Amino acid sequence: MKTLKYFSLLACILFAFACKPEKFGPITSEVNVVKQIQGTWGLTKVTQVDQDATTKGFPYKELDITNVYPYKDLTIALSGDASGNPTTFTITNGNSPKIADLTSGTWTADDAMAPTTITLKNGTTTNLLKLGSYAGLSSGKFYLTKNKSINGKVIISYKYEFTKK
Amino acid sequence: MKKFLFSMLFSLCSLWAFSQVTFSPATFTAEDEVTITLDVSNTPLAGLNDIYIWIFSNDGVGGGKDGLVNGQWTNSSETAKFTKIATNKFTYKFTGTTIFGQSPAELINFGFLAKTKDGSKQTPDYKPYKFDPLVFSPSQFRIFPAKLDQTDMATVYFHQDLATDQNLQRLFDVKVTITFYDGAGNQFSQKANIVAKKESDKLYSYSFIPEKLITLPAGTTLSKFSYQFSGNLKDANGANVPYSGPVVEVAYLTFN
Repeated sequence: MKTLKYFSLLACILFAFACKPEKFGPITSEVNVVKQIQGTWGLTKVTQVDQDATTKGFPYKELDITNVYPYKDLTIALSGDASGNPTTFTITNGNSPKIADLTSGTWTADDAMAPTTITLKNGTTTNLLKLGSYAGLSSGKFYLTKNKSINGKVIISYKYEFTKK
Repeated sequence: MKKFLFSMLFSLCSLWAFSQVTFSPATFTAEDEVTITLDVSNTPLAGLNDIYIWIFSNDGVGGGKDGLVNGQWTNSSETAKFTKIATNKFTYKFTGTTIFGQSPAELINFGFLAKTKDGSKQTPDYKPYKFDPLVFSPSQFRIFPAKLDQTDMATVYFHQDLATDQNLQRLFDVKVTITFYDGAGNQFSQKANIVAKKESDKLYSYSFIPEKLITLPAGTTLSKFSYQFSGNLKDANGANVPYSGPVVEVAYLTFN
């Protein structure tokens, strides 16, 4: 009887130590988003969003302004090194209104695998652009958002849709 | 001449009064907390350490109330006391709905003055300052987006179906005149009689970015723009008669 007790205790201890989390592999292979957004992109759609109206639940929240001026002239080229790290960028406005203060310089992303913000820099000038959904990257679409705020409250956003050249 | 001098004096006084007051955030609803920064230099309160707010709502529009913090004129409450941040510079923080005990729908604007506790000295009235609406009110003229700076695309709309003026209801060949004002409030540039886009049977619009519409030298600050829709009417003989709607002003904000 005593032996049975010891065996039960030993079995419990063995079971307890035998438990360990099972490692599951990734559902798909990990994607380096920063590498994917490198290349030359043409601006294809611009939407102006009144975030203040959105917050207050007012009508007239968004306006497609793509065709008001030749926004489609604008291209952005994001370059990277051999390892896929961001290096330089060039924005060619053509006759399009500016979407950033800079036309060239260096760029960085806050996270290589899941970036939310890209930073354009030239000297002391810095422009932040928010990255939209990555879902379109595989089909050659890339989304950026520029926010304009007062004391941290976003008042206006511009949503830019780019298509790979 | 007397009238002219009086109006000049009034304008200068207004300009002086406005230069004393700033708000953070620059725009706010009746439900937002706002900080008033007041400079009392060149007022009877200059050099004092303790000053008190006397605040009131809905100046000139009816339904006004004195602030719940005011206390009595000869004995301000301590909750009405400004915080001194520098010589002659004070701040006061409040939320419209709380300080007036009124609902956002009731609050349209407010004004205030600063005073000594016993009311023996005071500043002029600073008023009226509008609360941002929390409820959308359709109107014949509209701008998108509602708040913007001089680098933003602005779209001005004329909702003819909402026009109250019969002549505006009958307007055709609709055009718009856009006028820009510099930082000092002087007219800087104007684009007159631009053909408006007919979005639908009773809706006209025009979209623009200032630097694409006018020549804007680098570093030029615009304080505001105005727009005015105009067009033609038919008189009794069927002839065209020009007619213009009111001028609507839009202030540019500064984003940070």
